[in-house]
Amino acid sequence: MDVKNDPSCQIKGLGNYLWSDPPDAGKWADCVHCGLCLEACPTYEQTGQEQHSPRGRVHLIKSVAEGKLVVDENFADPVFVCLDCRACTTACPADVDVGGLIEEARGQVRQAMPLTGWKGAVSKTFLEGIFPHQNRLNSLGSLLKFYQKSGMQKVVRKTGLINIMPKHLVEMESIMPEIGTPVQKKYKDQEVIKAKGETKHEVSMLTGCIMDVMFSDINESTINVLTRNGNNVTIPKNQTCCGALHVHAGDRETGRELAKRNIEAFKDAEKVITNAAGCGCMLKEYPELFREDPEWHEKAEEFSKKVEDVSKYLYDTGYEKPKAELNKRITYHDACHLAHGQGIREEPRDLLINIPGVEMVHMPNSDRCCGSAGIYNITNPEMAGAVLESKMENVPDDVEMISMGNPGCMLQMAIGVEKYGRNQKIVHTVQLLDWAYQKEDGKERGK
Amino acid sequence: MAKKGLQTTDKDIINLSKIVGEKSILYKQPDLLAYDCDGFTIHKHLPKAVVFPNTTEEVAEIVKYCDANHLPFLARGAGTGLSGGAIPLNGEVIISLVKMKRLLSVDLENRRAVVEPGFVNLKLTNSISNKGYYYAPDPSSQYACTIGGNVAENAGGAHCLKYGVTTNHILGLEVVMPNGEIIEISTNGVPDAPGYDLLGLLTGSEGTLGIVTKITVRILKNPEAKQTVLAYFDNVADGSQVVSDIVSSGIVPAALEMMDKTAIEGVEAAAFPVGHPKDIEALLLIEVDGISAGIEEQINQILEVCNKRNVREVKVAQSEEERGRWWANRKTGFGAMGAISPDYLVQDGVIPRSKLPEVLAKINKISDDSGLRIANIFHAGDGNLHPLVLFDAGKPGEIEKALEAGSACLQVCADVGGTITGEHGVGIEKREEMRFVFTDREIMAQTDIREVFNPKNLLNAGKLFPTPGRCAEVKKELKEAKTS
Repeated sequence: MDVKNDPSCQIKGLGNYLWSDPPDAGKWADCVHCGLCLEACPTYEQTGQEQHSPRGRVHLIKSVAEGKLVVDENFADPVFVCLDCRACTTACPADVDVGGLIEEARGQVRQAMPLTGWKGAVSKTFLEGIFPHQNRLNSLGSLLKFYQKSGMQKVVRKTGLINIMPKHLVEMESIMPEIGTPVQKKYKDQEVIKAKGETKHEVSMLTGCIMDVMFSDINESTINVLTRNGNNVTIPKNQTCCGALHVHAGDRETGRELAKRNIEAFKDAEKVITNAAGCGCMLKEYPELFREDPEWHEKAEEFSKKVEDVSKYLYDTGYEKPKAELNKRITYHDACHLAHGQGIREEPRDLLINIPGVEMVHMPNSDRCCGSAGIYNITNPEMAGAVLESKMENVPDDVEMISMGNPGCMLQMAIGVEKYGRNQKIVHTVQLLDWAYQKEDGKERGK
Repeated sequence: MAKKGLQTTDKDIINLSKIVGEKSILYKQPDLLAYDCDGFTIHKHLPKAVVFPNTTEEVAEIVKYCDANHLPFLARGAGTGLSGGAIPLNGEVIISLVKMKRLLSVDLENRRAVVEPGFVNLKLTNSISNKGYYYAPDPSSQYACTIGGNVAENAGGAHCLKYGVTTNHILGLEVVMPNGEIIEISTNGVPDAPGYDLLGLLTGSEGTLGIVTKITVRILKNPEAKQTVLAYFDNVADGSQVVSDIVSSGIVPAALEMMDKTAIEGVEAAAFPVGHPKDIEALLLIEVDGISAGIEEQINQILEVCNKRNVREVKVAQSEEERGRWWANRKTGFGAMGAISPDYLVQDGVIPRSKLPEVLAKINKISDDSGLRIANIFHAGDGNLHPLVLFDAGKPGEIEKALEAGSACLQVCADVGGTITGEHGVGIEKREEMRFVFTDREIMAQTDIREVFNPKNLLNAGKLFPTPGRCAEVKKELKEAKTS
């Protein structure tokens, strides 16, 4: 048996939490069980069951510490069905950090019951084998590119080979974005990507693992928009995956290792800019991972303060309003980890409204989770599908584009558009800004 | 989450699952633990099972099964109740009505709507607001609480001063009786039916007389205009006096709310602060609504009254956004106590308005004597107090101290000619305090009524009245137990 899974050598547990880094009693002490979070929770909306509500989960997490429950499958179920969307944090009158508790509880579950079977395989392959390794990710990207360019995609789709894939993977395959060149590769020989015109700020950019492979064009747009507004952009070479997917899945140990690598990689950065809500939220929460390690906790605190989402950064530092018109009707989807996780709601909308010709259409419940939630749509396809269905019902009929600030949401919403026969284009907020600038400069791009 | 097959040999679970389906029953310990209390957290008890019916017929079948097999049972909505009405004291089968959450019809012409019990309060207003209508009862938990639960508790809210509590807005009910029979009371929604006022009896019966499965409610046209005032006071007596002055001047505000210093500390430390000064002793949130003509005049009158009573600062909301922030701060006030205390217990006494200064002073004294902080957030206009006793359940003896302090607050209310609950219900929490306002004979008269509806007392037993009741009741229960 793996030594890591044997609690007897550990001493820092709490009640029936036998491993170090248990859920934090200070977090549940704020919960008075009022229930105002219930309606905010997508999984409660779907099930109506309180063990799948924020209040219920907090109650169960506390119960393990009190010795009334043990960490087993029945406890793992409510803890892992949570989307970690943080909508409850927004709704909570007492600011209870439910997301933090969930992630800490998942850490305990994963140590008590390592994953096996299909979920274990997915988790091992992606979380341990691919995301932390940029070169492997890039190879995967190249492979996907080959898959698309070589005609193999057509073969798979036409021959019915696709029919033997699980349903939710078929859905994912069908919306796979066209793979471009990762900016990590493209700018690998360039120390600093120089600001256009006068240099006002120095920023460093987290390229993200999925973002750079699946959506390298968004990274490209981010660089364009930043340099256009007087930012020298550095892409630190040793940066790695932010670890959000690992922490969401309960693998806090890998999360910590990745966090350390990023903290080191960005130690000279003045500002760390991200364009992925999930990554940004994770980076800002690095100190949570080092509650039991004062030295790294301090470093993480210092690092976190430098992190900012690109939309808020542009909004705060001021940016050049584009002059060319993009005549589009657009609706905006609040990524959970931007709206609930980082409190960023108005800034991206402001960027969009200020593009001439853009008509913003309100999406009801725009801050409701789309069901992507990291790799949740792979591990809990049924619930993710139900959550996506509610989301799509809220997308206005007459818009041409849905804008957002997170790659996971972009993939999930693209599945939604495909699955429900809609025709909206899924775009990242900075892409629109970039396209407007390009149009202004006479370079037509985007559709 | 979908489990394959039931993992139990319990025949009741198996039989109940046949009524609602295997996915709509919970019976494993961790799942049940999420149902061991509601918004009142001092008593906890595990239910036997939680079932999620989809239709009135399923509710009736579950009830018939429980009745035939002597299983105690109770109904639950969102579980936001503050007096413990949905806590399974006797290991009940919980009938959760949250899946019955449809808005069945809206009849604007006759100003009524029909909802299922699991429909969330605020969703009703949200569904009809674009047509210019709303549902008036607005308990602070309206973001989450269900209308079924509102009927059970006869819920109130900030705007009940002018518009009345839930019972004033219920036009008809479909009810599953404790023997499983389905009855309808004025479901056509025509008010004031002849005969005894059964709607009035059912509303506020705290789930002890039957399970409501369909509700016809009154809906109202949005007021033409609305203005909201916020007033800060350096002295509680001045604030209290303003409350009396406003009402006696002939104005009927839609809402007239008060918060004291400790409460303000709580809401300002929590998620929806508005920047109230920390050093004031009390604030009033006053709203007037109605036809546009006259609103201005009422506001001026209110400002005048405030100024006469040494208000430190008074302002009128300048936008809907500002008004929204003031209300969010007020309405999340109870939950906000989590930011300054691990636990709280909220009381719900009602007093004549004129006694406000006297009662608040006495509550302060109770706080000093018990060593526990007490915050006050309440509906001052109708004299409905909410002393929030702050405590830490983790400290030995604090639960008992908090309960004692809460009870003492209610004694004060009863002593000045008031009563022990305005809108939260008696539930488990205030059973004993019923004796402050009723004699044994009066309590007996009420349990006699319960017996007509709920003769076996399987439905939500142990709530609303003091236990153990009188000898007669105990003897009768023993006798029944033997004969079964």
